[in-house]
Amino acid sequence: MLKVTNAQIVYDNVIEAVRDVSFEVRDSQIVALLGSNGAGKSTVLKAISGVLYPEDGEVQSGAIEFDGHSLLGSAADKIVRSGIVQVPEGRQLFDELTVEENLLMGGYTQPVSVVKQNLEKVYDLFSRVAERRSNIAGYLSGGEQQMVAVGRALMSDPKLLMLDEPSLGLAPQIIEEIFQTIVNLRKERDVSILLVEQNARLALEVSDYAYIMENGRVVMDDEPAKLLENEDVKEFYLGFSDGGTRKNMRDVKHYKRRKRWLS
Amino acid sequence: MEYFLALTTSGIAVGVLYGMLGMAYAVIYKSTGVVNFAQGEVMMLTAYTAYAIASLWDVGFWTLLISVTIIAIFVGLFIEFVFIRPMLGQEVFSIVMVTIGLAVAIRAIVVMIWDADPIPFPSGLPGDTVSVLGVGMYKSQVYSIIVFLALVFIMWVFLRFSRIGIAMRATANLQTTALLMGINVKRVFAIAWGLSAMISAVAGIFIASVQDLMPDMWFNGLKAFPAVIVGGLDSVFGAALGGIIIGLVENYAEGYIGFNLKEIAGFIVILIVLMIRPYGLFGKEEIERV
Repeated sequence: MLKVTNAQIVYDNVIEAVRDVSFEVRDSQIVALLGSNGAGKSTVLKAISGVLYPEDGEVQSGAIEFDGHSLLGSAADKIVRSGIVQVPEGRQLFDELTVEENLLMGGYTQPVSVVKQNLEKVYDLFSRVAERRSNIAGYLSGGEQQMVAVGRALMSDPKLLMLDEPSLGLAPQIIEEIFQTIVNLRKERDVSILLVEQNARLALEVSDYAYIMENGRVVMDDEPAKLLENEDVKEFYLGFSDGGTRKNMRDVKHYKRRKRWLS
Repeated sequence: MEYFLALTTSGIAVGVLYGMLGMAYAVIYKSTGVVNFAQGEVMMLTAYTAYAIASLWDVGFWTLLISVTIIAIFVGLFIEFVFIRPMLGQEVFSIVMVTIGLAVAIRAIVVMIWDADPIPFPSGLPGDTVSVLGVGMYKSQVYSIIVFLALVFIMWVFLRFSRIGIAMRATANLQTTALLMGINVKRVFAIAWGLSAMISAVAGIFIASVQDLMPDMWFNGLKAFPAVIVGGLDSVFGAALGGIIIGLVENYAEGYIGFNLKEIAGFIVILIVLMIRPYGLFGKEEIERV
């Protein structure tokens, strides 16, 4: 359903953030896009949502297609209307607006009658959000904010939900809850999910397929079970090392060498 | 006491006009981050348009008010579409320069079409006075206060409850997220310009009925500027209240101190407010000032 082919994304015409990235999200799949800071994951999501231009970014070559239509050059609101919605990194709630107003804005592209139904659905999904509906969003706790952010995205009845680091800065218990919601969403509503994460273990647990990005490139892709077996993934993304002992300096050098090879 | 009351009532009557113009500034600034230096000129243009309508057809005051506000919305949309939209993505400062250019252009256009001589404005408002709190006020002043209150209420309902109103606040809050939610930010900007022109048109009709039509009536826009600064550039209701504060201060300064302080009293208030609360009385702290 979503297909990114050889995308190259450049900021300010000179800074290459993403080079030659290809990946695919099929119908009702959960696909994880993993990688460390600065790998270019968020940039890819911004490109899909069509919001690179405020930061002077541009997809210089390659293709981004959704259900067979190119998304390149589409306005951000058209992309939302076509069924792709993003939960941005760090929640990015409208912190001066109330929770309910945030949700209403999530349903901006939908007719009023649908908005009412969806509002009830979100409140059913997150009872804590329902309790806080008339609070100013900026005063909610991190976990509640993340629920509002997910709920706000669901207000647009998306076919594809893109989550940018939903676990960022949250307590393990809350993360568990959020991820459970994500899995349920796919099961109950048949929403496809593109999950961008640094927390590789968690993401590999819930996803059907995973891509690993480094320095603006996809360096590895496979089914989670196989990636979990991979020695490099184990070492660099899951934090396992041989025998569980701490490494000495020589191994750190070795790490660097191996990293380079990996990319 | 009676002197004080007289200064107060006429101060409020002037203040609501500043308040309207202040709201017009704030609506644009809040959603787009641009200070529209052509606000006074837009007001003047719509006032002259009202004159054109009133001299062609013999319409009553309320018909005139409503028809001119509707025309003004299109004037605002036109200005946004032709002059501001091509500048999107440019630095805010460049857009502010465009509004200054626009201001000069509108002044010239008004003189070209209607000449530089003052024209009495056939507003259709009754010229007689009523007694309020024992002080005589023109009926037109009372009308302007009522219309101002109605306008503040309408704006409150609009920003608080309507989808587009909430979208305007959302865009002002976080523009990129607004884009991600599928809010057509360009349309939000256009609506802000339309609304702003509409509000300044209401102010324009009242100002013209008090002062006559003159090609330097744009100066009221500049005099309303202290109102926005006092209230905070990003607070529509702060600007409305700021207008009344400035109107009162001007009148008290003139009435008790004299020396033509009226003209500069507002700007002295700005200096003091900016020293104590640089973001205005109701503004948000981290705003970028112009």
